Parts: sequence; C-alpha cells; structure tokens
Amino acid sequence: MAEVVFDQASRIYTPGAKPAVDKLDLTVTDGELVVLVGPSGSGKSTALRMLAGLEPIDAGSVRIDGRDVVDVPSKDRDIAMVFQSYALYPAKTVRDNMAFPLKMRGMGKAEQSKRVADAAELLGLTEYLDRKPKALSGGQRQRVAMGRAIVREPRVFLMDEPLSNLDAKMRVQTRSQIASLQNRLEVSTVYVTHDQVEAMTMGDRVAVLRDGQLQQYATPSELYDHPVNAFVAGFIGSPAMNLLDLRRSGDGVTLGGTEVPLSRAVRDAAGSAETVTVGVRPEDLSLDAEGVGSGIKAVVDVVEELGSESYLYAHMAEDESTTLVVRGPGRTTVRYGDTIALRVNPDAVHSFDASSGERLPG
Amino acid sequence: MRRAPLLPALVFTIVVTQIPFLLTIYYSLQSWNLVRPGSQHFVWFENYVSVFADSQFRGVALNTIIMTLGSVIIAVILGLLLALLLNRHFIGRGVVRTLLVTPFLITPVAAALLWKTTLLDPTYGLINFVLGGQTIDWVSEYPLASVMAALVWQWTPFMMLLLLAGLQSMPGDQVEAARVDGAGAWAIFTELTLPHLRRFLELGIVLGAIYLVNTFDAVYMITQGGPGTASANLPFYIYQRAFLGFDIGQSAAMGVVVVVLTIIVATFALRLVFRSFGAAGSES
Repeated sequence: MAEVVFDQASRIYTPGAKPAVDKLDLTVTDGELVVLVGPSGSGKSTALRMLAGLEPIDAGSVRIDGRDVVDVPSKDRDIAMVFQSYALYPAKTVRDNMAFPLKMRGMGKAEQSKRVADAAELLGLTEYLDRKPKALSGGQRQRVAMGRAIVREPRVFLMDEPLSNLDAKMRVQTRSQIASLQNRLEVSTVYVTHDQVEAMTMGDRVAVLRDGQLQQYATPSELYDHPVNAFVAGFIGSPAMNLLDLRRSGDGVTLGGTEVPLSRAVRDAAGSAETVTVGVRPEDLSLDAEGVGSGIKAVVDVVEELGSESYLYAHMAEDESTTLVVRGPGRTTVRYGDTIALRVNPDAVHSFDASSGERLPG
Repeated sequence: MRRAPLLPALVFTIVVTQIPFLLTIYYSLQSWNLVRPGSQHFVWFENYVSVFADSQFRGVALNTIIMTLGSVIIAVILGLLLALLLNRHFIGRGVVRTLLVTPFLITPVAAALLWKTTLLDPTYGLINFVLGGQTIDWVSEYPLASVMAALVWQWTPFMMLLLLAGLQSMPGDQVEAARVDGAGAWAIFTELTLPHLRRFLELGIVLGAIYLVNTFDAVYMITQGGPGTASANLPFYIYQRAFLGFDIGQSAAMGVVVVVLTIIVATFALRLVFRSFGAAGSES
C-alpha cells in the first residue's frame, strides 16, 4: 500500500549530455497500476530502475509513501520487481527462488513455506515447486518471477516488460492475469512496456515518455481521445492515427481536393500558420458507399482482412506520398488497386501545430 | 579411409607414449640395476611388492597428495579473491590483470629458481629482508611449504583467469534481482556467485591437480626433494631411484603404480567436470 512520487527525478548518464530521464514528475496513487510506455530509448526502463534503486537518481527525488529513497539501497526500499528476462536464480528450485526474498528478510521457515505455497497455489505453480527454472516453459518461468514478487507483499511492484518474452497468445492471457492479480492484491504497480496495447489494456493511468520526457499522463481513454501532441496521437492506437501536414484553405484544410473543416477555436489557435497537422484515426474515416463518388479519392495498396473488420492502406489518388489507413467493414470487397472514396468524421479530427506538434485547443 | 590423414599422428602418438609404457611394464618385471651389469633377470611382481612395502614410497605418496591438493586449493582461493577484485571496475584494471597473469607465463624452472634464490634464500632473500633481517632458512626448515609456495604462485593466475571468466559470464540481472529481493553483498556472493562458479571451481581444481601431480621442476630446483625425502613427490622420487640409484626395475614398477593411480583419479575427476559442464550446456 503505497504512494509513489517522482519529483523532478532525472538520470544523467554523461554530464552535459541529454538526460536519459529528464525531470520526471509522476504520482502513482495507492493501489494504482501505472504503465510507462514509449519507444526504445524513451527512458521508461531507466525511470523504473531509478525507482528500484538500480540506477542512481541524479537530480530531483523519488518518494515512496513520503520517504525520499534517493539514498536508500534497493534492498531497503520494500519493492519487488519482475524482470524482462525473469532473472530467476538458475541454481535454485522454484520453491527456493520464491522463498529467496523472504529468506533475505530473515523470515521463519514455517512462514516462508506457507507464503510460497499460497503464492504457488494462486499462480498454478504448486506441482513445479521442486523443479529448477531450466525445466520450465517460458510462461511458467514468467509466473515464478511473478510469484517471487508477490510472496513479499511489498509496497510497490515494478514490472519491466514482463510479457515481452512470451508468445502472442500467452501474452494476452498473462496480461489479463496480471491485471486481475494486481486488482486483487491492491498493490501499487509501475509497469513498463513498449507495447501500447498492453499500456491501454492494463493501465489505470498511462504515462507516455519520449526522449526521457513525460509527454502525457492520463487514463487510456483520455490518451486516446485527447492526445496532447502529435507524438502521443501517433503512438497510442493501432493502427496508428493518420497524421497529415495539410495546407490551410478557407475554414479548414485541404485533403485530396476536399475541404476538411476545422473549428473556429482551432483556426484561431493556428493563427497565420500555412499548414496544420491533422490527425484522423482509421475508424474516423469512412468509405463512401457509392464507391467513387465525392469524397477523398485514394488508391488501395494493401488490404488487411481481420474478419470483424478490415484495414485498408491507401495512398491519395493525386499524391502518392500521402498515405492513409482506413478501417473498413469486415469481409470487404475492396481489393488491391481499387480507387475508394473517403469521408472524414469532422467531429473526430485532431489538430496539432505543424512545427511544435502541440495540440491546438478546440 | 576418411581418417587416413590422421594415421601418422596416431602412429607417432603410439610410438612415443604406448611403446614406452609397454617397455616400462616389461622393465618393472625385471630385477635390473645398472650398477651391477649382468644382474638383469625376470622376477615377476617382486618389484611391486617392494614398492608397497617401501615406507619411503608411502611417505612420498603422502607428500604428493599434500603438495598437489594443498597447492591447488590455496591457488583456487587466492585466484577467487583476485578474480573478484578484477571483476570490479577501476582505473588500470588491464595493467593489473596483465601483471597478475605473468607468473603463469614464466618457465617453471625459472620460477622455481626465483623463489629459491631471490625470495627464500636465508641471507639475501627478499622475504627475510621484508621480515626485518631474519635469517630463516626457509628451504630447509619448511621444504614442502617452500615448494608449494612456488607452485601456488604459478597457478594462482590460471585459477584467477578461469574464475574471472566465470564471473563475467554471470548474468547481471540476477544480481539486480537479488538486490531488489533484499540480498546484501555477502548473500549475493554465497547464494548466487558461488553456485554459478561451481563448475568453474571444479574445472580449475581438476585441471590444476592433473598438472601439479606431475610436478618435477619445482622440487628439483628448490629442494632436490630434501632434506631426506621431506619434500619429494612421486615423480621426483622415481627419478631419484632411476637416475641416481640406477634401479630400473624398481623405478619402472613405481612409475606403473603411479600412472595407474593417476588414471583412476583423473578419470573420476574429469567425469565430474564433464558432467557439470554437460548439464550446463543443456540449460540454455
């Protein structure tokens, strides 16, 4: 049960160079699961390791339940961590792996085996307790790593891409197991991933990082509906949002010969800029039923048929370099090379400043 | 026929190892002393009986065990300590590592001479100098320990390199996980590092023992096995019987006994090592 606060926390690997984590401000409230997400090199793992005590905090502070932990070694922070590689101890059995953190805290043997048995029961590991890690499958190893973290009943769980070594099916399954386990245990959790689907599905709140800087910290739906800048807009959502630099014309911008209207507030915020970055999610583009009627004309390059829906990757009829992704209906009849006509849902257009990428209000 | 190109090497190996071995067995069944020409005759296993009845032989065998295992174990412990130090980052690590390895590169005879004269000499040896002008005659008062000191000095770098390789192959994330799990430096060493190093330790002990059981140079150069046979080991004792006592039959029988015992011990030891490395191989 704990509140974790990053207060202007920074990690500077080489003095003078750009910090790996730059003045991070983040609060994880008690029992919350917060996901740090970003592309590689965004500082998300470094931030987690700063909280774990595996990386020094060069400036600012990190507090767990109000206690500044900058000078507190890992072993005294009362945290538990699940590593991407699981980092199981190869010479120890599953039982001894899970009991290790308890043993290190001088817990009595009886209590140790009771807690290990409980955790093993919870994770379905009871029959593997006497095996060595090398005799386990990837999914089982992952659960042992989880077990080693939960037996401790720590203040905070830290998870560093715990699912990235699993196959796709296991990943989806384990994802929901971890989320429900966390709900049940009500332990504050910081979860690092590069996978925005994991972030969206697991996080109570999600922090998007880029180049060591926090971009946006919000609930998944807030991130999806109101990304603060073009980076977040393009990072969250799959397939990614279509982001196009479009020329201003009249009350909006021109896309493929048609005008996409922008609200008055957006136009005012854009000021005299000649172009605006416009973002439209694939589901906010619709196929004109007529086929080639009015609308924006585009030529299909790839059709991804998923059964319940389909994604059409197309380029503009008059401009090969501008490409779009459109969500179409399932079992679409559109084929490679077809010309389609698209309509934009004007209420779902996101607008960003073309140079800074910041969201234009309105 | 595919293996035909290997044939010359095989023939050579047989000529230089197996034929001498068979000849040795033949000699060991003869009573033959070079000092008494014409005394050579066939005596069955009489030589073997006298080998086992020889109390000097037993004493020398014990010396061999002490010298071999003692040197190896001390070298492993020192090598482990040095490897742990070298596994840390510090300025000049490369230079220090090179300097620490050099004893292993020195010819054993030269190393033994260095110990006997430069370090252990009672009047101008450096050890007595450091101890404040003592005149302890190390070589005659502690003959076995003197030989072992030279052996340990030569073999510590080997153990150090082997264990350093082991330490560097240790995954860093396990250490990090242990730190988060609440382990201090000592707990990490005993709970993670030592189990990880186990097979490297085994390999070092077995290889070191196989080499050191044949030690001759150090004994010959430093003490000549003396005083008496206080620091003689089996190879040196056999040499004495053969080339100073000229008793070909006796020394051949001893040689055969030593070879057979060494093969038995080495087989078990090597099997142990290959098993632990084989198991490790299937791990990844």
